[in-house]
Amino acid sequence: MEFLNPVGLYAFSLLPVLLIPYLIWRRSRRIVFSSLLLIRDFPSDSVSRIWGRLRLPLIFFLQLLFLLLLVLALGEPVLTARRPENLAIILDNSASMQALEGPTSRFEIAKEEARGLLQHLPNGVRVDLFLVVPKLGRIGEPALTPGEALAIIGTLNPYDLGDSSNDYGEVLSRLAKDSSYDRIFFLTDHPVVEQGGRVRVISVGQPQGNLAITSFHLTRVSFASSRLRARIEVTNFSSKRQKVKLSLKGGGRLLSTQTQAVSPGKSVSVFFEGVSIHPYYEAEIKPPDALALDNRRFAVPPSSKGLSVLGISPRPRALDSLRSIPGLTLKVIPPDAYEKTTSGRETLEIFHFSAPAVLPQSHALFVLPPEDNPLVFLDRPLTSPEISSWRDPHPLTRYVNFALFRPVYARPLRSRSFGDDIIQSPEGPLAIVLEREGFRYLVLGFDPFPYLGRDNLPVSIFTLNLLGWFREGLMGSSTTTGKPLQFPDRRSTRMLVTPLGERIPIKKGPYFFYRTFFQGIYQVVGDNKKELKAVNFLDEKESDLANPSPVNLKRVTKATDRRSIDLSLWTYLLLLSLLLLFLEWLFNPPVARFPYLTERRGLQIKP
Amino acid sequence: MLPAPFTSEFLSRLECLRLRTRREVLGGRPGSYSSPRRGTSLEFADYRAYTPGDDIRYIDWGIFARTDRLYVKLFREEVDLFVYLFIDASGSMVFPSIREKFSPACHVALALAYVVLANHDHVKLHLLQENPTPVVSPFFRGRHRIMDCADILSSFTPRGPIDLAPALGEHLKRVRRPGKAIVLSDFLMPTSSCQQGLNLLRAFNLDISVIQVLSRQELDPSFPDGNLVVGEPESDEEIRLQWSADIRRKYQERLEHHNRQLRSFCHQEGIHSSLYVTDQELSEFVLQTLPSIGLFR
Repeated sequence: MEFLNPVGLYAFSLLPVLLIPYLIWRRSRRIVFSSLLLIRDFPSDSVSRIWGRLRLPLIFFLQLLFLLLLVLALGEPVLTARRPENLAIILDNSASMQALEGPTSRFEIAKEEARGLLQHLPNGVRVDLFLVVPKLGRIGEPALTPGEALAIIGTLNPYDLGDSSNDYGEVLSRLAKDSSYDRIFFLTDHPVVEQGGRVRVISVGQPQGNLAITSFHLTRVSFASSRLRARIEVTNFSSKRQKVKLSLKGGGRLLSTQTQAVSPGKSVSVFFEGVSIHPYYEAEIKPPDALALDNRRFAVPPSSKGLSVLGISPRPRALDSLRSIPGLTLKVIPPDAYEKTTSGRETLEIFHFSAPAVLPQSHALFVLPPEDNPLVFLDRPLTSPEISSWRDPHPLTRYVNFALFRPVYARPLRSRSFGDDIIQSPEGPLAIVLEREGFRYLVLGFDPFPYLGRDNLPVSIFTLNLLGWFREGLMGSSTTTGKPLQFPDRRSTRMLVTPLGERIPIKKGPYFFYRTFFQGIYQVVGDNKKELKAVNFLDEKESDLANPSPVNLKRVTKATDRRSIDLSLWTYLLLLSLLLLFLEWLFNPPVARFPYLTERRGLQIKP
Repeated sequence: MLPAPFTSEFLSRLECLRLRTRREVLGGRPGSYSSPRRGTSLEFADYRAYTPGDDIRYIDWGIFARTDRLYVKLFREEVDLFVYLFIDASGSMVFPSIREKFSPACHVALALAYVVLANHDHVKLHLLQENPTPVVSPFFRGRHRIMDCADILSSFTPRGPIDLAPALGEHLKRVRRPGKAIVLSDFLMPTSSCQQGLNLLRAFNLDISVIQVLSRQELDPSFPDGNLVVGEPESDEEIRLQWSADIRRKYQERLEHHNRQLRSFCHQEGIHSSLYVTDQELSEFVLQTLPSIGLFR
């Protein structure tokens, strides 16, 4: 017999409470009588003890039995009707399983639990092993023997990835429904709600506080600057204020440290100014906590010093005005020449009165694109449109005085799929931004060019804002674990070195590396140069060890009840306890239960 | 104002009663009670040899004719009665409450006082407490003084311990005239103490009657079963006991034995005694029970 809700059995600790009324009833009551003359030498042997001799009536044991059955029913006991033959063991190998519970990690505890399950299985039982990240999938061969499963479990390690699903209850429900497993064990650090059916969730670990670096960026101070500014955001996922020491390392060397206090549930941003250029950077916070993974973050500096712009315009003179901006290199070509140009070298492409057939694989600005562009529809033209609203705060609208922002000509836009409206006129949005596959796109329904500097400050500020916004997209080129690394087409073979030291050859042609399961610096070696890519584990839900989302098995219970090998006893226990309650009421009516209430009249009770 | 049980009907029935004494009394004024002294009543008492100066109207001429000697007839003197009402005002008289014990005792005392006053006799209230200055009323005479009696009794709160003999002794120092003493108490004290107190009254040549006042709670205590810490109002003493039906039965046996000893002593000493349970009707007790024991005639 096992209990689906073992927490309910804690109610056993409340059973002694039943004694309290009896102790109160049996406690010495103080009364006043007219004279002690006639009662002076009556026996008082039992009252020398504090509570007196506790004579428990039969009804007490009936009540005790009633409560016992009720608590047992609360524990939802089930009897296994037959021996399970097909088992599935699902191990949660997400990043939060790396959290330490004392000396060992949650994942090691989960593995130990799995070993415990497997060691007690008889011969003939078949086991399938699953991992939940990067996605729920079986590992090893199907229908393993317990010995084979034990061998595989010994080799498993958690990944630096967040949970693959927001609703494990749904995932387990589907697995239980679609498979013929007699029992599915899910070993995770998530708590469980409504355990039942064929699925058993074994929770490891306790909620605990944690500190995490939730953001790490490096940006250039200006387009032409050779120094960088590092921004580190630290979040406190605990219930008490914590003091953290942040260190910034460059190329493995300590560059600077700062100390900052973080309030519970809050984030603080810490800036390191004037950071010199290094191949890669590492941010770290101390003191160490349960989850060491999110106490470190990696970043690489921006790939280019300034902003390299490719202008595609039938009116090149308008774009030529951008050359007056320091740190910006510009190459302007006519739209016809775009397809022939080798893409991927410029960091920003400005399509001025033009648009490519497909979205470019770089950041791009679209200024009044033609009707057949892939991003927006254009409405009828407007002259001297008014700006009715704008997104604030937003890096694009920062410091812009929209009262003086008067484009001569504009066409309202309508996004083809999705996008954020940044600037709006009464007739429709005039600026829409969208991000796809890590690239930023901005579509303008008006022409901010030529860049006139001080002669048209509102539009000039807007132009600088948009160039800065695109540059931000280039900075600190790090990605998150689980997202593929994209390698542009190269003519020679290169080698990818993962943070674990694994060396993977990259063939010619465009290449995507998907197995970014670990945080760190990924190096691409070849062509006599080394390219670094930073991959960080960034998942606030995983870092928040204090509030893990529960696994709700309510649907699993409903979905798998019919095929369950368990016989639930709680309904029978509940019925039995109700019967006892009725008997108790029958034999012990309320008046008899409190006899002193009826006899109390006429007595003087001392205060 | 008189308490509720004293209706006009009850008062008129009380007026028909007269206290009965077992001995002759020495009154101060003519009354209706026999005195050991010779007087001028119609009731013949004795003969005495004539001495010069005797009123010749009382010479028994028949004896003189037969014996040739002069004898005068003597008659009993009938005097009024002095009644002393001793009311126990110790702490035990407040159990289970004043309303349920002390007040009923006072009602009985008032009824007795009214009987006395209605017969133009004298009544004096003695409230028994361990008090250096005993609480004693003056002698009241005349039925209108019943209000004074009621005022005294209603304004008094029983408290403190009492030892019957010393308390009575303090009061008896102020008793100048013999008469009738009626003691109202729960007598929940050692029998020897009761006997000493009553003997003290006898020593003062008082005709004694005893009315034991007990509440129903004292006769049949309904304590909850289990452990009790019992205290008494007259002292700080507390005792612990395990109360049960068996103990209740034993207590009742002891109380019965105690009361029997008290009654036996009274019987031997020629003392009227009666038990008044406070849930009993006052009129029933005064008009039926007390006459039955010979307190009234």
